[in-house]
Amino acid sequence: MLASLDLSVVAASLPYLFGEGMVFTLTLTALAASGGLVLGTGLALVRLSGVPGLTHAAKLYVELMRALPLVLVIFWFYFLMPYLGAWATGAASPIQVGPFASALITFTLFEAAYFAEIMRAGIQSVPKGQSAAARALGMSYAQTMRLVVLPQAFRNMLPLLLTQTIVLFQDTSLVYVLSLTDFLGAASKVAQRDGRLVEMYLFAALVYFAVCFAASLLVRRLQARIAVVR
Amino acid sequence: MIVVEAVSKWYGDLAVLSGCTTAVARGEVVVVCGPSGSGKSTLLKCVNALEPFQQGQITVDGTRVKDRATNLPRLRARVGMVFQHFELFPHLSVTDNLTLAQRKVLGRSGEEARRRGLDLLARVGLSAHAEKFPGQLSGGQQQRVAIARALAMDPVVMLFDEPTSALDPEMVGEVLDVMVELARDGMTMMVVTHEMGFARKVADRVVFMDGGEIVEDAAKDAFFSRPRSERAQQFLSKILAH
Amino acid sequence: MTYHWNWGVLFEPSPEGTGTYADMLLSGLAWTVLTALGSWAIAFGLGSVIGVMRTLPSRAANAVGAAYVELFRNVPLLVQMFLWYFVLPELLPARIGAAVKQMPDAPFYTAVLCLGFFTAARVAEQVRAGIRSLPRGQALAGTALGLTVAQTYRFVLLPHAYRIILPPLTSEFLNNLKNTSVALTIGLLELTARARAMQEFSFQVFEAFTAATLLYLAVNLVVVAGATLLERRLAVPGGR
Repeated sequence: MLASLDLSVVAASLPYLFGEGMVFTLTLTALAASGGLVLGTGLALVRLSGVPGLTHAAKLYVELMRALPLVLVIFWFYFLMPYLGAWATGAASPIQVGPFASALITFTLFEAAYFAEIMRAGIQSVPKGQSAAARALGMSYAQTMRLVVLPQAFRNMLPLLLTQTIVLFQDTSLVYVLSLTDFLGAASKVAQRDGRLVEMYLFAALVYFAVCFAASLLVRRLQARIAVVR
Repeated sequence: MIVVEAVSKWYGDLAVLSGCTTAVARGEVVVVCGPSGSGKSTLLKCVNALEPFQQGQITVDGTRVKDRATNLPRLRARVGMVFQHFELFPHLSVTDNLTLAQRKVLGRSGEEARRRGLDLLARVGLSAHAEKFPGQLSGGQQQRVAIARALAMDPVVMLFDEPTSALDPEMVGEVLDVMVELARDGMTMMVVTHEMGFARKVADRVVFMDGGEIVEDAAKDAFFSRPRSERAQQFLSKILAH
Repeated sequence: MTYHWNWGVLFEPSPEGTGTYADMLLSGLAWTVLTALGSWAIAFGLGSVIGVMRTLPSRAANAVGAAYVELFRNVPLLVQMFLWYFVLPELLPARIGAAVKQMPDAPFYTAVLCLGFFTAARVAEQVRAGIRSLPRGQALAGTALGLTVAQTYRFVLLPHAYRIILPPLTSEFLNNLKNTSVALTIGLLELTARARAMQEFSFQVFEAFTAATLLYLAVNLVVVAGATLLERRLAVPGGR
């Protein structure tokens, strides 16, 4: 029961949990969020471009990713990556891709689909009159997007993008299925080694909760401020 | 029928009602008017305890509204209310709107509730629309259904909260006609409205409110011919100017 | 590329001896669907209660509802899965804990509970938003007719709110369906787990994952079609 919890196990493993596990989790989150944002914005623009073949390809990609469980996608890329690598480099046999690179590419491609949907809604939320006005001033399509539409869309969508990043932070725990040492992976390894599952998993839950709850409070404050400005 | 005694209500420092006292006798029609924000809708909603109030007492047909022992759902079932925005239930057909509370609150059988509902629908001239949904009716028709819905509960008194102010002008008449007929049939009514024509036609008394206070409470003729307070005079001259 | 496709593998007997690889994947699909339906029943019921609590005037009800949502939304699903499976039995009185651990199909029941409680937080947010989007006069009208608070929710507010939130509820249902794959970590033999097993036994990795992908897409299509039908049946004449 709770009285028999051995917190010294947790204390002893703190350097490992945070120095290795949390650093891995945060690195993966930050890189995948940045990559996913860039790729997602591109996907959203392609989808809204109206170019027939491209629009459909982007739509298909986004819908496919969103229809599949992340765990399956993680497995897909883990096994697909060596072949894709061989194809890209022209090598004769599958090349080795480390699990971190594999996870990073997976999360980037997966999150891109979710970011793309948020961006698409954001771009569509900017009144049509705005781009009409920009075009009337002589701006090109690219200028209109970059200087007028996207800055407004980003502001509208910032809270949603950040919330999605919090979800991503939680989802990175699924690299557990590739036996990587993210924060949960580290906690799990200590738990198995010392036979202290209760302490380690409760502590992991507490840390995730503290980080995500604090981050979501910040997002909410930001949201309130944006709402006032508008 | 309704006795309002020294009712006061406030949100923090802001007084919404201060010391309101008035009464509505059985069979009487009382029109409550006043500028917007004067507290008239709030006072009306206090009568069936849709709004709480801190001080004073309201009694409806002998039942004290602000009393822990009072069964509020039972009290409200006997007080019909008509809202500015109709508030029909959009997912229910007209018939279901008319029968829902009869069955669930009064415990009437489906057949009995249906008969009563359709009777009243005929009375407001909408028998042909029994199976339609609120979204398929005009505003005026919706408000007439809403009146029938309230009447179906066999209320001892009817409250109207600006029943025509959300309507397009050409639909105001059909709703007022139903209300006039109701008044002539002897229904006890408390009506918040700006329709002074209605007041002249059927009101027994007019209550004028401003700033959360009852400024004037007079017989209809006295109110219209010689309002005592300056505020009521100003209000009347504005509202009757055109 | 040196990968050798062999779709015939699907119809070869699996080493488990209970049928072909295709049978193995289909049994995985059955567990996936069963888990999704079971957990959705909990999520919908509990989520509705929590969502309603967050719209009540009572401060206490609000606080309890908000705490529930924050708790279940801010801990990763995988961690919640471990808490239910590894931690909860240890915290129960020893005899009950041991019985729970030895229960047949423990991963299934654990996954249903875990996903049910997890998804309930998300359903609650939708229910709350749906009720909040209704005009305040609707609740007043119900009250003025003499309906009790419970009756007002049951007959006036919820039927209307559910219609409004049907599209987001459909995506929550699909999310819940996809989330069942997380339960492979506690040993549930659902579709992704079975595809993984097929890959390990047969080495035909892409056939296994392609088949699983197609099955997930098929279920998605069925759910979306079902939701469209439901939406049409529940549509209110003259409604927006």
